[in-house]
Amino acid sequence: MWRPSNLDRTTGVFIALIVLSLTLVTIDLRASGEGIGATLRDGTQAAFAPVQRAVAAATRPVADFFENISDMFSLRQENLQLRVRVAELERELQETEGLQVRLDELEALLGVKPPQDLDSITAQVVAVGVSEFDHLRVIDKGSNDGVGVDMPVIDQAGLIGRVVAVTGSVARIRLITDPTVNIVVRVQRTGETGVLRGRGSGAMDLRMFSTNTAVVVGDVLITADGRFPAGIPVATVTVAARSEVGFLTTTASPVAGVTRIDFVKVLVFTRDEAGVDDLDDFDRLPTGVPADPGGPAEGESDDSPPTTTTLSTTTTTVGGTTP
Amino acid sequence: MRGRRIVLALVVVVVSGAIQTTLFARIRPFDSAPALVLLVVIAYSRHLPAEYALGLGFFAGFLADLLAQSALGLWALVMTTAAYFVVRFRDRLEDDFSLLGPFVFLVTAGALTLFSVLGTIFGQKTLADAGIVKKIFLPSLYNLLLAALILPFVTWVLGITRRRTAAFRL
Repeated sequence: MWRPSNLDRTTGVFIALIVLSLTLVTIDLRASGEGIGATLRDGTQAAFAPVQRAVAAATRPVADFFENISDMFSLRQENLQLRVRVAELERELQETEGLQVRLDELEALLGVKPPQDLDSITAQVVAVGVSEFDHLRVIDKGSNDGVGVDMPVIDQAGLIGRVVAVTGSVARIRLITDPTVNIVVRVQRTGETGVLRGRGSGAMDLRMFSTNTAVVVGDVLITADGRFPAGIPVATVTVAARSEVGFLTTTASPVAGVTRIDFVKVLVFTRDEAGVDDLDDFDRLPTGVPADPGGPAEGESDDSPPTTTTLSTTTTTVGGTTP
Repeated sequence: MRGRRIVLALVVVVVSGAIQTTLFARIRPFDSAPALVLLVVIAYSRHLPAEYALGLGFFAGFLADLLAQSALGLWALVMTTAAYFVVRFRDRLEDDFSLLGPFVFLVTAGALTLFSVLGTIFGQKTLADAGIVKKIFLPSLYNLLLAALILPFVTWVLGITRRRTAAFRL
């Protein structure tokens, strides 16, 4: 028969700590990212930021050394690729100028403000998540600099993620590659919409609502509706779409350098600034869009444990969020 | 003396957390980094009295939880479990030093796998990660390699000059 005396002291302490851990998990999940957990997180992040800065500064020569070695090998090949790319871009630029005029007209017609009109805050990434499973970045700008929860974050190529927590001096970004993140996107070439879902690393899953229009390799996906300003490049389709139970599914690679980010721009944008005042989310989707495309769309899915101090007061729906 | 060593252990854990989130954000061979905080917990658990080792594991995990976006307590559970395993097997490791490297690899891989499973149970979709195998294998491999530095470093910090025959007295 089992009695407490069967346990040695070490196992007793171990079980007590496991129970304490599970209690913490339960409390944190039930609090949905608010309460004591969020306060502790923000406090720790604020207190830890100077330590991270100091360690980053102290270890910069080491990191530079290893990065330089790494860069040396890839530099020659990259140079060659860049020359080819420059030639391509020069050709594309000529084509784009004509398209830009047409795009301006269409945007004016839709009442959508392009992201270029938005104010932005330049920030540097000071830290990453503590494990390979954390798809987050910590930037050196916080609420004192005007950064707020839910603001989109981009690099020179496209969307990186969204601010999920802010303290006075730093902010946390959840990357678009996080498996709990779904983003409503539009294929730039056809205008068809779909949902892009992170897979942790590598290419993201794309599920198109309409099976009638083909999605081909190289198609650029841009943000559409939701908390992000319309028109920000998000990913490029890497595999031609295949039909799957009423959807077109494929994969797309993020255009932003998600794995190697140094400087980023936080777009000062809230949903109210979307400039689509008279258009509800569902109105922007094509007719016949299913009510549930396989999970909540945009931002984090409902079942993800949020870490934000100030949770958004929005609820998740297909096509974005509704106040 | 005891208080000083405990504080020092906590400082080492905090600094390792800072290195993990800054230096290893830039040095990422094959887009992966070592699980340094976990390695430090393993290194300390080899020497500290069992209860202290578990407490340090819990503290390190709790710190990781606060710096991560996982549910609070998840990493604490994982690192406490890792510390418990080390405590249970450390005497055998002292008998056969050649097992130390593979043991570090297995504990790291086991801890990351446990985190993935628990993360999925608690809604973080960790197992849905496309690179899940790489995210478990490579940090474990790097920890195996880094163990050659970190384990002696921790032994030195604790001021142990001879091979341990019993749990280190704080």
